[in-house]
Amino acid sequence: MTNNNPLIQVKNLDLHFGAFHALKNVSVDFHAGELIGLVGDNGAGKTTLIRVLCGIYTPSSGEVFFDGRKVEKFHPKLAIDQGIETIQQSVGLCDNLSIARNFYLGREPLKRILGIPFLDFGTMREKSSRVIRQFGLRENVSADDEVERLSGGERQSVKIGRAVEFKNRVVIMDEPTNHLSVREREHVNELAVQLKEQGLLVIYITHDIFQVHKLADRIVIMENGEKVADASTDSMTAEELEEVIRQGGRVVEKREAV
Amino acid sequence: MKQLIQSQGFGAIVGVAVMLAVFTVIDFSGWWTVQTVSNVTQFTAILAFVAMGQALVIMTKEIDLSVGSVYGLAGVAFITMEPTLGVPGSLVLALIIAAFAGFLQAVAVVKGQLPSMIVTLGGLFAARGIIYVWTGGSVHNFSPAARSHPLTRLLGGELFGIDAAIFWLVAVGAILSLVLWATPFGNRLLATGGSRESAESRGVRTDRIKIAAFVLCSLLAGFAGILTLCNQPQTHVTLGENMELEAISAAVIGGCLLSGGRGSILGAILGALIVVSFRYELIALGAPSSWYITFVGVVLIVAVIFNQKLARFLGHSV
Amino acid sequence: MGLSAAKPLIRRHAEIGIFLIGAVLIVIFASTSEGRWANLYNIGTIMQMTATLGLMSLGVALVIGTGEIDISVGSTFGMGALTYLWLAAHVDPSIAALAAIVVGAAIGFFNGLLVTWTRTPSLIITLGTLMIFRGIAIALTEGFSFSIPYAARKGWSYFLLGGDVFLGFNTALYWLIAVLVVLMVMLKAMPFGNRLLAVGGSVESAHSRGVRVERIKLSAFVLCGLLAGFAGTLEAGKLGFADGSMGRLMELQAIASCVLGGCLLAGGRISLPGALMGAFVLSSIQSYLVVTGVQPQWFVLILGVIVVLAAYGDKSLRQWALRK
Repeated sequence: MTNNNPLIQVKNLDLHFGAFHALKNVSVDFHAGELIGLVGDNGAGKTTLIRVLCGIYTPSSGEVFFDGRKVEKFHPKLAIDQGIETIQQSVGLCDNLSIARNFYLGREPLKRILGIPFLDFGTMREKSSRVIRQFGLRENVSADDEVERLSGGERQSVKIGRAVEFKNRVVIMDEPTNHLSVREREHVNELAVQLKEQGLLVIYITHDIFQVHKLADRIVIMENGEKVADASTDSMTAEELEEVIRQGGRVVEKREAV
Repeated sequence: MKQLIQSQGFGAIVGVAVMLAVFTVIDFSGWWTVQTVSNVTQFTAILAFVAMGQALVIMTKEIDLSVGSVYGLAGVAFITMEPTLGVPGSLVLALIIAAFAGFLQAVAVVKGQLPSMIVTLGGLFAARGIIYVWTGGSVHNFSPAARSHPLTRLLGGELFGIDAAIFWLVAVGAILSLVLWATPFGNRLLATGGSRESAESRGVRTDRIKIAAFVLCSLLAGFAGILTLCNQPQTHVTLGENMELEAISAAVIGGCLLSGGRGSILGAILGALIVVSFRYELIALGAPSSWYITFVGVVLIVAVIFNQKLARFLGHSV
Repeated sequence: MGLSAAKPLIRRHAEIGIFLIGAVLIVIFASTSEGRWANLYNIGTIMQMTATLGLMSLGVALVIGTGEIDISVGSTFGMGALTYLWLAAHVDPSIAALAAIVVGAAIGFFNGLLVTWTRTPSLIITLGTLMIFRGIAIALTEGFSFSIPYAARKGWSYFLLGGDVFLGFNTALYWLIAVLVVLMVMLKAMPFGNRLLAVGGSVESAHSRGVRVERIKLSAFVLCGLLAGFAGTLEAGKLGFADGSMGRLMELQAIASCVLGGCLLAGGRISLPGALMGAFVLSSIQSYLVVTGVQPQWFVLILGVIVVLAAYGDKSLRQWALRK
């Protein structure tokens, strides 16, 4: 499935927040058609790394290549336009807006009347509710309801539905199964595999190595802002990888030639 | 050295040094004369009182826009009530009024959970409105007897040729610094501004701390108003107008971060010195008085931006 | 039971509170002033006051919608009035009005640029610019008079720009209605409005969805300055003169209107009709004090108290509506 040119290539990435060194010289390649498990304890730098990839943070130094081209400017708009869709963990929904408005935020469908761009409310309502229902939104919740009133799982389903609807080349999922029921969790995991099989790059972030080991082609482990392991799931078992996390810091680079 | 740079008042110390050097070299008005220095220090002392109170409130991550009006209200109360209550009585009453104004606003902020900005903006106008209604726009004066009252002399007179306000400032400034750095109250005040949740999780009653900060701030502003009027016993409805801006500028120049938890009393005093010196220099240069308002606006913006950049440079998350 | 049925409605429309207050005040004022308040002439005056204050409040509401605040509008209003009067003496008033609007927009741009570039609290920045432009306005009016005699104010441009009455109301009122309609459509039915409210709701979330947060905030400040400049133009068009203190306290009235009208200071939830109703209520109170012979100084005091009470009332109403 994978070819030799990585879709996303991260080289010697460093990121400082004030005095805090959040990412330390991280280098990693991601290929199209791969499902990557990005694993680590809380505060290990997983979320920080993917927030660079989806343009929220600008790195202090180091380079990111997307499809062979160096990324010069970091902004979520550019990342989304390039086809990188992200399910963020704590951000992504504005409580004060309706489901439909959140769904299409930043990419609102337009209906031009006299050349003036108006929102296409019909499309927004109909499509967003249809997509989100697949991921556990109750029937009695309307697309016009404010997100503030939704439960944690329903909020998650809005984010997942949105990523699936706009998916293009990369889908990044940050703890996607949080707040979900067992059935919804399975559905999301199946979905991640499906997306991969469609040729997309899927980066799946979790702290549960056993959950993602079953799905992923490759596991990348982060610890204290550093990449400490990068191994295919064929070459290392979940137990071995868990041991790496437990020892925290022993750098392993064991990966089959691609 | 690094510790010195990171101390909150450092920017202000450098600012004062540079400013004094510049005013010495480019000397239009006779900077180092007894007259100038005495005027500048007198006004600095008054503004510094208001700025110190403001600094305390900013350290708890709130803001008090009403200090100019409270300053004016205390001053007006002091002068207006003097014929009936005498100097000591009206002094106490003026301070009580000031403290009460601070307390009311603090309760609205803390118990009503409202943004301090909007509450004190309302307080700014309410207190100013009381001044208008109370005085009816007329000017009040002290009687000759009240002017020579020992308490008036103690607050507004001179000692060894130095204005009494300076001695009061040194005393109060030293006490406040001590309270801030060496008492549990100071520690809790800074913790409240730095991280309210953490402070609360350690059992700090952050609402009480905030109320105390607001009351102290209004008390200091009221005291500054009384000091002013002991020196120049004449009220005016515009007494203390725009003073909140000067006070915030001084506190910010002195290293108070608007994001709370950081600041220094010494910095606020030096910030007041900078603001007053520039005002004096501007007048000495012959600029029309209205430019002074513009100037305060510029100083405020520049101070905030500079302070923020400095804080980011030092690695604080702002 | 009846009240709890209204909860969902109030949750969405916090401005209902101000419309009720407005209705109650109208009844009280009309019945206690022996016809001095509720007559056509006085209502016309209130409408004119509401129009200029309302235009400013709409702009401030947009800025509040992004979670920022603009308290420099009082000075922007004054600068707009001075620009208009200075130019109207030389060129056609319509060009002068355009220039005043550009000046207002430029001040708004300056505010927005400082806020977004330096990431400094907008309260402090606009407090600074409030002073800066107030000082400039006073300096400009020292030694110069900014007035156009009534006899010289003839023609269509003067008529349209607040100089005269149409169908019983000052023409400023019709501008206000037009602006309200345009802004409502922009806010509710266009991507700009969606993004503006998203920025106010959660900067991080809006940013993560590719919204250019800085640009949205900047445009809100520009719109706010523009409307304040235009409000100054209309006020100057009516009065025919202006001095350096023109627009003093207007910034507080504009913010009070917004808070009264159910705009959440934290951002993300605003109501433009509510802000207008707030402006109407404040203008009504001011007019009531005048016609009943109360010292006008009381208005400053009442205004300060109203701001705090409105903020508290709005918060309580919302909390009540959110409770299940």
